[in-house]
Amino acid sequence: MANKQGSLGDRFAEFTVILVTVIALAAGWFYKSGVENASVPFEAEGVSAQAPKGWLSSEPSGEELFRAVDRNSSGFGTTYTIRQIAVTSEATASEVASAVALKNAQELLAFRILEQQEVLDSNGRSAFMIEYVYVESNPDLTHAELPSVVRGMDLVYLNGERALVVSFHADENNFELDLERFHTFLKSVTY
Amino acid sequence: MNESKAVHERKHVWRDEILLIVVMCVFVGIVYALDNALKPQFTPSTLLLTGVFLALVPAFIWLVFFYLQDRAEPEPKGFVLGVFALGGLFAAAIGIPMTDGLFRVSHWLYTDALTTIMGGILVVGFTQEYLKYAAVRYSIYNSSEFDEPTDGVIYATAAGLGYATVLNINFVVSNGGVDLGSGIIRMAVVALAQAAFSGITGYFLGRAKFESEPVWWMPLGITLAAIFNGLFNWLQGAVTQPQITLSGSITPTWLGLVLAAVVALATTGVILWLVRRSIKSLQAGK
Repeated sequence: MANKQGSLGDRFAEFTVILVTVIALAAGWFYKSGVENASVPFEAEGVSAQAPKGWLSSEPSGEELFRAVDRNSSGFGTTYTIRQIAVTSEATASEVASAVALKNAQELLAFRILEQQEVLDSNGRSAFMIEYVYVESNPDLTHAELPSVVRGMDLVYLNGERALVVSFHADENNFELDLERFHTFLKSVTY
Repeated sequence: MNESKAVHERKHVWRDEILLIVVMCVFVGIVYALDNALKPQFTPSTLLLTGVFLALVPAFIWLVFFYLQDRAEPEPKGFVLGVFALGGLFAAAIGIPMTDGLFRVSHWLYTDALTTIMGGILVVGFTQEYLKYAAVRYSIYNSSEFDEPTDGVIYATAAGLGYATVLNINFVVSNGGVDLGSGIIRMAVVALAQAAFSGITGYFLGRAKFESEPVWWMPLGITLAAIFNGLFNWLQGAVTQPQITLSGSITPTWLGLVLAAVVALATTGVILWLVRRSIKSLQAGK
């Protein structure tokens, strides 16, 4: 059969296929960003934030004002929490962070602090940050699954006679990838 | 005399096709029964070997099935296998890193039905269909062996099956070999679907090489294939995404799998019809 391979029309068709694919992928990237940045408002005890849409969230309970878990995460589900802790007016953020770290060390398996320092968040607010790692294992002994290595980050903000601890926990493989989205969430937190 | 030979050949092909489908069903049934009876535990190396074996068998059965469709002038087996390997290579080197690593589809694709369909078409569909198209377009397309429109379908289905093989190996390994029973059915359906969707692109590619088609012809082929791919992905998503209810979670494995299989089978039916129509018109032309 006659073929028109190598003709101008053939090369132009090839170019249009590449162009259409690139346009589709670019549209896919924008769609992905739209989905990932979609949020729902949250407010409790004078603290408000834009919580990620589609995550599993729970009602405020005790110290914990907010908890949202990404059920689509691979391994340990990426989790955001906001807790409020009553403190004295003389307490510093680093003291509160140390107390929180001590509690974590007692409750979490193989807990290790990786980094701790005073930081300014993207809103210019002063906070004390502790970054750590621990091992999360399914409490169900019949569940044949390797434990996950989880990386966490707590940011402690002082607000009068209370401290707010905004936390980010993610599987070690997802931590860096999910960090930017957490910063977007952090930026939305007001108190 | 010629007519009776043609009828005989047709019966022969039908018999082989039915035999291949029976072989596929028996293979799937054996793996399903063995998984339920033995509940195998894998080491990383046995898991990889099992994944390769379970992914290759359905792919080769479908490869022979589609190869049999080219009755007018069968393509060299080495070329078909080469395009199959290239499809797999593109999946491992570009496709999976792009969808899973760059776009991280597992994190957002199953948020809701609209997102699954849109993301499935724009990201997964276009990535996969373009790479399968490229496996044919930049290899065999320039060869003298690609000498009739039907060849586009034969080589594109081979590229699709190579792509599906790598997807299926990735599926077994990333799930740690868990639930191979329903997994093998999924793998057989995914292989058929990937072959059928790239068959759409292949049909457009074959026509584009030998007939004067407008400039939108090839982009239309890729887009149609990506749309079918996205719809399949959405239906298949119902397999893996549990519905959370007050009384617990339900994983509607079979419903999603049956619906996805219907899309794959319907697309295969259309592709086979187009191939046979093309062969008939070629024979009538001669």
